[in-house]
Amino acid sequence: MSKLKNILAVTLAGLFIFGFSIWSLILPDKEISKTERSRLEQFPELSMDTIESGEFMSKFDTYTLKQFPLRDLFRTIKATTAYYALGQRDNNKFYLIDGYIVKMEYPINKESVKNATDIFSDMYENWLKNTDANIYLSIVPDKNYFAGGEGYLSMDYENFVETVKGDMPYAEYIDIFPTLELSDYYKTDTHWRQECIVDTAQALASGMGVTLKGEYDVKKADTEFYGVYHGHSALSYLPADDLYYLTNDTLENATVLDMESYKEIPLYDMEKLDSDDDTKIPDAYEMFLSGPNRSILTIENPNATTDKELIIVRDSYTNALAPLLVEGYKKITLVDIRKVPHDRLSRFVPVKGQDVLFLQSTLVLNDSSEFK
Amino acid sequence: MLFSSIPFLFYFLPIVLALYFAVPKKLKNTVLLLSSLFFYGWGEPKFLIFMLISITQGYVFGLLIEKFRGMKLSKVFLVASVLLSLSLLVYCKYTDFFIENFNALTGMSVPLLGIVLPIGISFYTFQILSYSVDVYRGDTCAQRNFINLAAYVAMFPQLIAGPIVRYSDIAKQLENRNHSFEKAALGVRRFVTGLSKKILLANILGELVAIFKASEEKSVLFFWMYAIAYILHVYFDFSGYSDMAIGLGKIFGFDFLENFNYPYISASITEFWRRWHMSLGSWFRDYLYIPMGGNRVSKPRFFFNIFVVWMATGFWHGAEWTFILWGIYFAILLIIEKVFLLKQLKKTHVLSHIYVLIFVLMSFVLFDAATPAEAIYRIGSLFGAGGHPLITAETIYYLRSFAVLLIISAVGSTPLPSKIYKTICKKKTGNSIMTVAEPLILTILLVVCTAFLIDGSFNPFLYFRF
Repeated sequence: MSKLKNILAVTLAGLFIFGFSIWSLILPDKEISKTERSRLEQFPELSMDTIESGEFMSKFDTYTLKQFPLRDLFRTIKATTAYYALGQRDNNKFYLIDGYIVKMEYPINKESVKNATDIFSDMYENWLKNTDANIYLSIVPDKNYFAGGEGYLSMDYENFVETVKGDMPYAEYIDIFPTLELSDYYKTDTHWRQECIVDTAQALASGMGVTLKGEYDVKKADTEFYGVYHGHSALSYLPADDLYYLTNDTLENATVLDMESYKEIPLYDMEKLDSDDDTKIPDAYEMFLSGPNRSILTIENPNATTDKELIIVRDSYTNALAPLLVEGYKKITLVDIRKVPHDRLSRFVPVKGQDVLFLQSTLVLNDSSEFK
Repeated sequence: MLFSSIPFLFYFLPIVLALYFAVPKKLKNTVLLLSSLFFYGWGEPKFLIFMLISITQGYVFGLLIEKFRGMKLSKVFLVASVLLSLSLLVYCKYTDFFIENFNALTGMSVPLLGIVLPIGISFYTFQILSYSVDVYRGDTCAQRNFINLAAYVAMFPQLIAGPIVRYSDIAKQLENRNHSFEKAALGVRRFVTGLSKKILLANILGELVAIFKASEEKSVLFFWMYAIAYILHVYFDFSGYSDMAIGLGKIFGFDFLENFNYPYISASITEFWRRWHMSLGSWFRDYLYIPMGGNRVSKPRFFFNIFVVWMATGFWHGAEWTFILWGIYFAILLIIEKVFLLKQLKKTHVLSHIYVLIFVLMSFVLFDAATPAEAIYRIGSLFGAGGHPLITAETIYYLRSFAVLLIISAVGSTPLPSKIYKTICKKKTGNSIMTVAEPLILTILLVVCTAFLIDGSFNPFLYFRF
């Protein structure tokens, strides 16, 4: 090697290694990663015990990865290299199609689906049976359902739905798949867009014998919405989504009660749009019913012209949808069995003749480990 | 600690380099030793004791062997040193294997000891063995400085996955070695090349292997993809580690011998083993095969020698029947080649390469299998005996997703990239461009490797378990 080449090789490599080494040492530790929506590993406890057990070294490895300077940029470099230089179809199971970030949900996790339907059946036997409840089931497809046909791996959704239906003979199935398409979902997030699912809400309500007019004012939230897939896929150069929400007189008069704290909360929580707080993990989608950390909520409709009540066994997709069903019911109760043990529901949510809708996404059914 | 890790690249290495080049010459081996012990103890602090016992016995017996050279006592000390080294290795690595097989044979249920294998014990044990034998033979002098010998055995660049550096090869460098900008640049180039082979090729190929194993929709084509991905994964994983070791050695002033020389271009299995894990092959040749008589014996004895050496080679890789069978598999192939096939192979150039690739591919399917039955199932499935469809949608997806990587890896396992590089450098313009382009490419590779480390999840070193 020529002398100049030697000097350049050693200098550039040295600058990179020593530069980032010093930067790592002086950079203050962050508490959270906003893009990855996770708490970051902090410097581990240093003691003889943690050294002897290897715990310190193991945690230090993770700590250095999570706190590395320009971590987000490096993750983007990795994703871009995987897609464009190595020609990989997905990066950590995420792929990009027509500007939509999609997670390749594949294959069907039969054990998880069985676990979910076993829990639902248990709920039926101990909570819903002999209560005159009208029990319905509907499944929300994930984005991969729409994009899977483009040469990506996708679950056999027909088989998936048939399996769940077969395991829940006590529930009447309402098919919402035909009402949805990829553009009904956020480009950077897993969820559907509230302004695009009015027809889905109508189809669900119709399946339960309720008619919805579905007339709303569309309002744009004052935020740039970077969904959960934006950070997870590390495709940081993709633009943010716009976030809209629907309202009308009925919704403006509706009251939402968090049954756990017994406090009223807003239907649309505008404080969740604020992403400037460095100690909080931002998720603008949490504006719908104040996010996922609520075990039991009720939405009461004082304008109702009916006494019908609805109970939804929900996941986060319901947060944007439930407001659209308010028009057809006097009261809607939302229960999330990831937050409240399913066998305690009979104590907290008495049932007598209500409509009960099991509304779960394929994502949650295919990974039901959080069901309690 | 892994070379391909953030703590190594951005904490350990810069600190050690700064200390190493800051201290005077006489303290450099001390810095190397202390940093190597830290490096080794990082993952498994309790295993430092095994290493220190090995080093101490090697040091003491080395001196005694030399002191009594030419006398019976010298041989006694050699045997004692060899037995001690092997006892530690056998205890840590093979005890449970022997108990399992004893139980299977006798129907008894002697409880397993559940011993965790100290990382790199197979490598450093062989280094100490070679040191003791070389001192006994008079090929090298005993090292009087404990720190120098300990630095040789524990030297972190080659400590846990080789190459198996012989004491006689670096004895002089331990006492006196040159550090130069040119050597450091060569080291940087070699290290970054190895790091890239490991992170950008081996790890991603390993992901394909893992995907195959987890798949419930296997096909005949998927079995072939797995087998091809696995032989490339093993090659880039291990040769990448060797490149990093050799590169780091150069930065610290050492010249370690090469460990790989494009093994997949071999035209016979005999040639393959001259190009694959060369430091292990030459170790077994010099310390087992030749002492047993090598090929200067009767034909049956010659075949027996090959058989024993290759069984030992297989067993060195792990305490599993699959590894022993893997060794026997190569022993049989090598004997067949020596009896008649080698002459035939020289006549058919293309077929000889296909023959090597097919048989090496099957050998690594056996190598990777948890049991002989699993190996038979996978090898059978390659040829349609597993009852799998020829192709599935899943196979097509992963073929498309990994096609570029498989092509890059296949080409990268041949001397073609190196030839292209040399051709470019031969021309004046090409050489001028490479003067700037090469350091830039190396830096870009470092950046991309760092990116894959930060976002990566699959990063084991295959040869750590040996």
